[in-house]
Amino acid sequence: MNSPQVDTVEPMTEKDHSSSEDPALVRAAQRGDMAAFEELVARHRDKVFARAFSMVRNEEEAVDLSQEAWVKGWQRLPQFLGESSFGTWITRIIINLCLDHLRKQKRQRFESIEAMDEESGGVERQMPVVTPNPTVNLERQELRKRIDQALGQLSHEHRTVLVLHEFEEMEYKEIAKTMGCSIGTVMSRLFYARRKMAALLANLRRDDLT
Amino acid sequence: MIDYDLQLKLQAHLDGELSPAEARGIQARLARDPEARALLAELTATTAALADFEDGRRLPESREFFWSKIEREIHRDASSASPSAALPWWAGWRRWLVPIGTAAMVALAGLMATRPGLAPEAEAELADPGAFTYRDYTARTTLVWLSYPAEKEFPADDGSDTMD
Repeated sequence: MNSPQVDTVEPMTEKDHSSSEDPALVRAAQRGDMAAFEELVARHRDKVFARAFSMVRNEEEAVDLSQEAWVKGWQRLPQFLGESSFGTWITRIIINLCLDHLRKQKRQRFESIEAMDEESGGVERQMPVVTPNPTVNLERQELRKRIDQALGQLSHEHRTVLVLHEFEEMEYKEIAKTMGCSIGTVMSRLFYARRKMAALLANLRRDDLT
Repeated sequence: MIDYDLQLKLQAHLDGELSPAEARGIQARLARDPEARALLAELTATTAALADFEDGRRLPESREFFWSKIEREIHRDASSASPSAALPWWAGWRRWLVPIGTAAMVALAGLMATRPGLAPEAEAELADPGAFTYRDYTARTTLVWLSYPAEKEFPADDGSDTMD
């Protein structure tokens, strides 16, 4: 096991880390300072949870996966070399855990309707273009609510590609590597997800007007 | 209706994934194709809406409670990973017993060879390099030294932690 040795000596844990920068906290945690790691958890736990929720769409599962990500984060801390920010690094861990979780779930149940649509002919290719932009003139809070609703209606494959591209700003190649699929599949799923989002946002708006 | 390849290229153009030459080709197509422009506008609007989307969702557990669960898991994991729990107490001595035993056998063979009478034999089996045999005909003694565990010395591995 490569995880940092758990520090059982109290004086280290008594130190106040609230004013330390992330890199200093990471270095302290790599030396076994659990109080420093706790501070990192406190700083990034909402982001990690939000990313998990955006992928699995279930609060209880997102909490469990977040916890698992932090335990894994501790175990892999010696491997963190600071090439990215700590926030990015721990987010990659939760993304991979969520992908594993979703793959396991998928094996246990039938394909979603959206995934079947994608396989059976690409309805997104024939969808009429949505005009005008359905998100114009929406209050920020209202827009967030609608996007959240629309994201919940995508299959996990499409939602994951969208989340990785739009929120994690990953390139096609990186998404393909993370998801274990081809760049062509990433492009196809992203295209479907965007078109479906546009249609869902337009429908949600239409529903409001009627 | 624009073809699927062009649809994906429009998207790749929006995402900055096209080569400069391909991007110029798409620009030219956009200049003369209103349908392509409309699709690009839709994709751009969706991307812009998402870019502004911040999921302000917060972990529904207190800092202390959430940390206590993580801390417990870390400690549990650290204790279960302790290598001393997996092997018997004498297992650590094995690594020293083998070379010491071999050296003792060689020394004994040398000592016996200097004594009168039938010279003892010491040999390593070619078929089994882990076995070393010592024979002393005068003392009617044969010793076989194995440098690996004998059968059933360790409990059988049920393979539960393998990838199979």
